[in-house]
Amino acid sequence: MREIKIVSKNFSVKDSHLLKTALKNGAYESIKEAFSKTPDEIIDIITQSKLRGKGGGGAYTGKKWCLMPKNPEKSFLVVNCDESEPGTFKDRYIISKDPHLLIEGIIISSYAIRAHDVYIYIRGEYYQFQKILQNAINEAYEKGIIGEKVMGHPYRIDITIHRGAGAYICGEKSALLESLEGKRGHPRLKPHSPQPEYLFGYPTVVNNVETIATVPYIIKNSAEGYLRYGTQNSPGTFLFALSGHINNPGVYECEYGVSMMEYIESFGGGIKGGKKLKAVIPGGASTPVLTADEVKKARLDYDSLKKFGSSLGTGGMIVMDEDTSMVKALKNLLDFYARESCGQCTPCREGTGWVRDIVASILNKEATMQDIETLLDVSDTMNGKTICVFAPAVSGVINAFVNKFEDEFKSFLKSVK
Amino acid sequence: MSEKLVTVKINDEEIKAKEGELLIKLLKKEHMEVPYFCYHDALGADGNCRMCMVEIEGKKRPQIACDTPVKEGMVVKTNSDMIKKVRKNILELELINHPIDCPVCDQAGECRLQDYYMDYGVYEGRIDKAKKVHLQKHLDIGNNVILDQERCVLCQRCVRFTDNITKTHELGVIGRGNHSRISTMPGKKLNNPYAMNIVELCPVGALTNKDFRFKQRVWFLKSTPAICHGCAKGCNIYIDHNKEKYKDDTIYRIRARVNHDINGYFICDEGRMSYKELGINRQYNALLNSKTIDFGDVSKEFEKIIKETKGDILILADANLYLEELEAIKEFAKTLNAAVCSPLKIYIDESFGDDWLKSKNRAANAKGIQKLNIPQTYEDIEKLELVINFNHPAFKNFLTPKSISFQTHKEFEADLILPIAAFSETEGTLINEDNITQFSQRAIHSKQKIPNIIEWIEMLKDKK
Repeated sequence: MREIKIVSKNFSVKDSHLLKTALKNGAYESIKEAFSKTPDEIIDIITQSKLRGKGGGGAYTGKKWCLMPKNPEKSFLVVNCDESEPGTFKDRYIISKDPHLLIEGIIISSYAIRAHDVYIYIRGEYYQFQKILQNAINEAYEKGIIGEKVMGHPYRIDITIHRGAGAYICGEKSALLESLEGKRGHPRLKPHSPQPEYLFGYPTVVNNVETIATVPYIIKNSAEGYLRYGTQNSPGTFLFALSGHINNPGVYECEYGVSMMEYIESFGGGIKGGKKLKAVIPGGASTPVLTADEVKKARLDYDSLKKFGSSLGTGGMIVMDEDTSMVKALKNLLDFYARESCGQCTPCREGTGWVRDIVASILNKEATMQDIETLLDVSDTMNGKTICVFAPAVSGVINAFVNKFEDEFKSFLKSVK
Repeated sequence: MSEKLVTVKINDEEIKAKEGELLIKLLKKEHMEVPYFCYHDALGADGNCRMCMVEIEGKKRPQIACDTPVKEGMVVKTNSDMIKKVRKNILELELINHPIDCPVCDQAGECRLQDYYMDYGVYEGRIDKAKKVHLQKHLDIGNNVILDQERCVLCQRCVRFTDNITKTHELGVIGRGNHSRISTMPGKKLNNPYAMNIVELCPVGALTNKDFRFKQRVWFLKSTPAICHGCAKGCNIYIDHNKEKYKDDTIYRIRARVNHDINGYFICDEGRMSYKELGINRQYNALLNSKTIDFGDVSKEFEKIIKETKGDILILADANLYLEELEAIKEFAKTLNAAVCSPLKIYIDESFGDDWLKSKNRAANAKGIQKLNIPQTYEDIEKLELVINFNHPAFKNFLTPKSISFQTHKEFEADLILPIAAFSETEGTLINEDNITQFSQRAIHSKQKIPNIIEWIEMLKDKK
């Protein structure tokens, strides 16, 4: 299987994060092309390219941009770099290996949505990567790439990095905006009709780092150039990633629609220690787990994973070998969710702690079948009854683990006399 | 919100409603059951408690009524099995980390959590595997408010009140997940003149009133609708009182009563605490030259003083008295050939006023004085021989040879001192500063049997 390098083309270049290296490798070449078009033309190209958001949700980027007003008094572009999903570590490759690609994408994107002020919301723990990105932004300011004019074009762009304070939920776009406004990171109530996000009361687009970093390629190679890769509903490429019991963990860019098993074999070099595969969490911890059989049939695109009741998420696959205890794995994940629930909605605030405690009791062989039934019932209460998708995601995780590995969970139950 | 009327179907009943109106408001208006913690008419929707979920046809999942605008043809179910299960399960979750200490909780009897549990609750516990999170209890967060973080359901009404209404931002949520809790900002305390409203806003026992807690079980209290006498605003209140066996009828607290034209849902802390002074330093006895006399002997002594008076008589009338009392005083003055006056400037307190519910004019019926054409000044002070005071604070400025004082509190010295009922012990009409006429009911029926002004005048005028 071959890697297709659109976003990752410079990852292996030495000193790729420096402007002079980046310029040698074609950075900012699409700017001239972009400014020769109107903002609406760019939005059209992105819409035609069917570019899907790469932060986990997979919403069509063009649709998001179309919601922005044509003559805004003020508007913002916010780049979501709060990469906190367990098993996901692709965005940090972009900001540390090719930050100028992101800046190039930011310039085109904010021109398209008529924004002049850009915030990059980065998770607080990414201190080192943030420094690299800030250096790149400083270099871009010095060379007149951003600032009052964009490479001579009369369009102001200012980029500000904002570091988060370490809450997973701030990766949810509306919680991110709340946090950016200086408030507590609580997701907002969803609007009843399609409309843009709002930051400080002004229309705003929130996009993932990789989504923005893909934009320059599409502008340079046209929508058709991007549509060459991937499948009908999942066009282009994605920075899939591998972690867990795998020989070569890492980030490998590849087109959508390839066989999951093949991807794991060819990029990951197979399961560590020659063991058998037991399960894979396909796209970051919040996506329902797949069994080995399902992995063999699954393809890495939105439609295929949906068929298995899971989703592509962030593309960060967590591979588990035959010796993995699924009860322990679920307990590990639920520890994370119980700690990271923002505490706003009742089902999530109280539910995540409760399900964690139940799974802990299963792990300690103190639980009965009744407890597993309670676990699934609480999981049902957490599904679809909250403001954001945190609790429904946890619910999906629990259901997949318990239903797909039922016998293993049962083997942990207290023997009833 | 448009004025367009649409038809919606709620539990098979067709109802006309304004398009765009919040479904929860409609359900409340139609008296259909809808449990909720976080929504409040004055604070709006926050959507965090998830109790007000309803089933809406065409929607896969249950929807929160507090964030659902009414649309034409909407079909809503509030009592389906699915909704009943949702309510039950969410309540169960609320109780996981709740101390369930109703027997010692002051909120018991007026607690949403308790009420809803009785309505929708689970009666078979299955939360044995959940470990309770322990948080801080009985925290004194200032302004007479005590916080118990464990009883809290995180509805954030208190936070939204300090953020959006008083804009003083003393409160916030700290911690995450089931460690989330309400707290004041580090090193800060509640510090605003309306802070005690959050006790009333709190649907559970997390915020209690330091002044009221542990004094009474709320189901013993009787609530009488009345008008606050703290200033000219005329905020609507409930006087909560109880007469315990062998004790006198006593006020235990004052609560806000909703009136959209005046105070909305709130009152100021000073008004809330104003009941305290109705119980201290009260004048209970009739005194003649500092000696107690029987109420039965009063008219004789009163008549004697009047008869001996050759000079002018002035009657001072407090601008906090009810219109009915003021009318009676005016009539009484005619029979005595006395002038009536009520200086109003003395009631002005610039330091008290603000631009919301606190008026710098501290006379509850100043407009009533004006309406009855009672003069505010009196010229011929030199010729005065007798001043008859009806609780007016300016009485101390009148140094006449003789004086009679009808007073609620042991405030003034006079030749003849007569006790009168305070505003809570009688009833009457007030006109507030915005010319709104309101009636205040009698709450207290005291063992002391102190006559009110009208009763005194009835007693005295025949004997003159």
